Amino acid sequence: MNGWALFGPELFVFGAALVFLALCLVKSPSPRRDFMVALSLAALVVVAGLAALKAQGTLFAEAYRVDLFSQVFKVLLALGLFLVICLCSRLNGVEARHHPEFYLLLFICTLAMMLLSSAVHLLSIYIALELSSYSLYVLVSLRRARQMAMEASLKFFLVGITASAVMLLGLALLYGATGAVTVHELARILPGAADRPLVQVGLMLTLCGFFFKLAVFPFHVWAPDVYQGAAHPATAFIATASKIGAVAVLVRLAAASEESGTYLAHALVALSILSMTVGNLAAIAQKDLKRMFAYSSIAQAGYVLIGILSMSPDGYAAAIFYCLALLVMKFTGFLVLVAVAFDGANIEIAELAGLHRRSPLLAMALMTSLFSLAGIPPTIGFTGKFLIFNAAIAQGHLPLVLIAMVNVVISLYYYLMVVKAAYLLEPALDPPPMQLPAAVNVLAVALVAFMVVFGVYPQAFIEMARFAAAALLK
Amino acid sequence: MEFSNFPYLTAILLSCVFGLLIILFLPDEKKQAIKQISAVFSGLTLVLSLVVFCTYDTGRAGLQFAERVTWVPSLGISYFNAADGFSLPMILLTGIVFFTGVLTMRELELRVKEFYALYFLLVTGVFGLFMSFDLFFIFIWYDVSLFPMYLLIAVWGSTRKEYGAMKLTLYLLAGSALILPAIIYLHVAAGGTSFDITALMRPGTFSPFQQKLAFLLLFIGFGILAGVWPFHTWSPVGHVAAPTAVSMVHAGVLMKIGAFGVLRVAIFLCPEGWKFWAPLMATLAVIGIVYGALAALSQTDLKFVVGYSSVSHMGIVGLGLSTLTVDGLNGAVFQMFAHGIMTALFFSAIGYIYDRTHTKMIPELGGLSRVMPKASGYFILAALTGIGVPCLASFWGELVVFIAAFKTYPVAGVSAVGALVIGALFMLRVVQRAFYGPMQAKFAHLADIPFHLGIPRMILAAVIVFFGLFPSVLFDVIDSAAVPFMRGLP
Repeated sequence: MNGWALFGPELFVFGAALVFLALCLVKSPSPRRDFMVALSLAALVVVAGLAALKAQGTLFAEAYRVDLFSQVFKVLLALGLFLVICLCSRLNGVEARHHPEFYLLLFICTLAMMLLSSAVHLLSIYIALELSSYSLYVLVSLRRARQMAMEASLKFFLVGITASAVMLLGLALLYGATGAVTVHELARILPGAADRPLVQVGLMLTLCGFFFKLAVFPFHVWAPDVYQGAAHPATAFIATASKIGAVAVLVRLAAASEESGTYLAHALVALSILSMTVGNLAAIAQKDLKRMFAYSSIAQAGYVLIGILSMSPDGYAAAIFYCLALLVMKFTGFLVLVAVAFDGANIEIAELAGLHRRSPLLAMALMTSLFSLAGIPPTIGFTGKFLIFNAAIAQGHLPLVLIAMVNVVISLYYYLMVVKAAYLLEPALDPPPMQLPAAVNVLAVALVAFMVVFGVYPQAFIEMARFAAAALLK
Repeated sequence: MEFSNFPYLTAILLSCVFGLLIILFLPDEKKQAIKQISAVFSGLTLVLSLVVFCTYDTGRAGLQFAERVTWVPSLGISYFNAADGFSLPMILLTGIVFFTGVLTMRELELRVKEFYALYFLLVTGVFGLFMSFDLFFIFIWYDVSLFPMYLLIAVWGSTRKEYGAMKLTLYLLAGSALILPAIIYLHVAAGGTSFDITALMRPGTFSPFQQKLAFLLLFIGFGILAGVWPFHTWSPVGHVAAPTAVSMVHAGVLMKIGAFGVLRVAIFLCPEGWKFWAPLMATLAVIGIVYGALAALSQTDLKFVVGYSSVSHMGIVGLGLSTLTVDGLNGAVFQMFAHGIMTALFFSAIGYIYDRTHTKMIPELGGLSRVMPKASGYFILAALTGIGVPCLASFWGELVVFIAAFKTYPVAGVSAVGALVIGALFMLRVVQRAFYGPMQAKFAHLADIPFHLGIPRMILAAVIVFFGLFPSVLFDVIDSAAVPFMRGLP
């Protein structure tokens, strides 16, 4: 297949970003126009991603690999972008004159994530990762509540560049020890070199860059402040789409170092347990809804790691499936958040009081997404966790799974506190029923249906994830 | 896809699901319509369960009414429903308690639509669990039947409802935190190609060590829901906090899910583990019987009395399961059924009394039988059943379990019977203090149960008496599963 077609979705996203670059130069702000343009372009990105689903080949002197694995991730990213832009119809948290920049950064970041999911050269992985990080640093700072946003952005930046520096050091060590520059060379050389400390350290440090993206302990410290400080759609993007790219590249690296995996697996087991436990325990104490989401996503990253550290095709397939599940579940939570916090300000969990009367549909959507995040059947979150645990136990990680299940119970506590706020608490002042645009209602129904239907009958997506994982190992 | 004939079991599930969907699409204000729709669909499930129960062929061992649809072939998950002698009494029990529960809640005014929607969801899970022979689906149904509980108790409950709801949900989820790894562990140990219980229960599938490990996880996991001592503390608190119909389903059916899970999953798949851990099961069961009976003595809240006596009665079920005999299994399943109907009647009677007097405190009630002879009568009938009076259903279950226990664990058997006798004495004292003695003047104007509200209680009372007089109707059904199962063990 020729190179242009292989690179199609990326080129399309790049073109869309250029459109917004041009719109940045237009003097008169027009939020409505910007939103419609962004929405239609994002829809086209999804179409482009789907059209290129079956593409296969390599580009740029084997530095860029297009296979089913990367294409599935690109579709997920496109979907994430589209959903996040759906949240932007009233972008109250960002000043109107900054809207084109906001969309520009969203598209650039998506582009970077797409590059990340296909990159197999260590340097192109690094560059793609940095591109996505830098666009997010700026994205976070674009908020009306300037003080909070700047603080969050700075914190994000400082943790981010530290993680990058560590990662660069790891890449250098890895290169010094093995001379490998692509993931495939690594996969070839690692089995023979796995017991050398230099390789182990290099590999571990390299992964730190992705742990930062995924907010895995101990690189999670940025998450609560950034989630709280960024505008709601930006937080939604960080929570959903930006995690997907990191998972893609982590899975790729894990698959490459599978043969030498014992040390790596041990380290990942420890990180996974710490992430789940720290995230879940800290989430209990949160009052701000977005901070709660931040800690919960630290814990969710721990579950994803379990799939990756199983180092088996089933484990990778489970991680891919869980990515899809996380995308939908978290997004549903943010949909409710954006609808309730109509003025773009942060809300506390207690402010959800009376939601079941103001909008029964949103209350139900919130409850489904929270139960799904907690992993209660019949939702897609349960199916994802089930696949992950299945893969882990097949590799002999029964104690780890028991610890993860204890964490599930802990997490249920704070999810139930949110459900309680939405269903039980009555607000002091009686707020009027919410006037929601029909599109939001349709979207909420679609998301709930998606979570339940594919939780009960997940066959299609399980097959997709298995094929994607198989493509990875070819 | 494979259906023996008309898929009765799926029809039961579907009538719950259709009922749920119709309720969801009715507007909030149409309370009367919602209640009628609920009654119709729950009545339909009762009729279907009766049909299944009556057309079951006790002369033929093995599964009947089997329905199987491949679900996720790559993992070996199939939608596999069937009925055997163990599950049939449970299906009938669920049908009866579901229908009577709906009728009991006719006076509900608060958030009616949500209540019935969640209630239907809960019962769908319960039915599904009793029918399913696929481990994956058993786990799904288990959780489907749990998570509506939180809202049902927290919104419509009483007496520390939020605390009770949270405690119950977390305890039961902790149970599922042990069950899920155990199920996956067994699935993987058998080669990772099947979740089908009938395939996995072939002798030699699992090594003795695997069986012991998995049995322990499953026993504790399901045991939490069955109210096994020392994991029972959620149960009295939850019963007390829950609204009437939910208490009925909860104590009547949901706790049976736990015991049934131990039987269907743990004992079926891990017979070696069963033999190994049976002494532990018996010990915990007897402690539960004695502890529950003694704790019930010191309660002043009627619902707490029933809650703790439930712990005691579920101990009898556990004791039956631990004897490793046909009689033990027969008695345990019979006791599950009888206890389910009995507690439903208990809570149904208390629910009416509480609605009228606004108290459940025994000292405040005094002499209630003169004001509400019928309501008191239902409570007293349930109390007599619990004590084990002959000609009432529970008697047979307890008798058979104790005979089996005397043979296997003489000490345990004696102490359990002793506890039951003490418990009986004090249950009679509760009856005496709450329903006899001087009448409270402030309750004198209250009306007794009118006919239309009495229907569900009459049904429950009739079932208790019927199976007390004709226990063989139920024993024949259970026996048709217990005998082949025990013979098939190595």
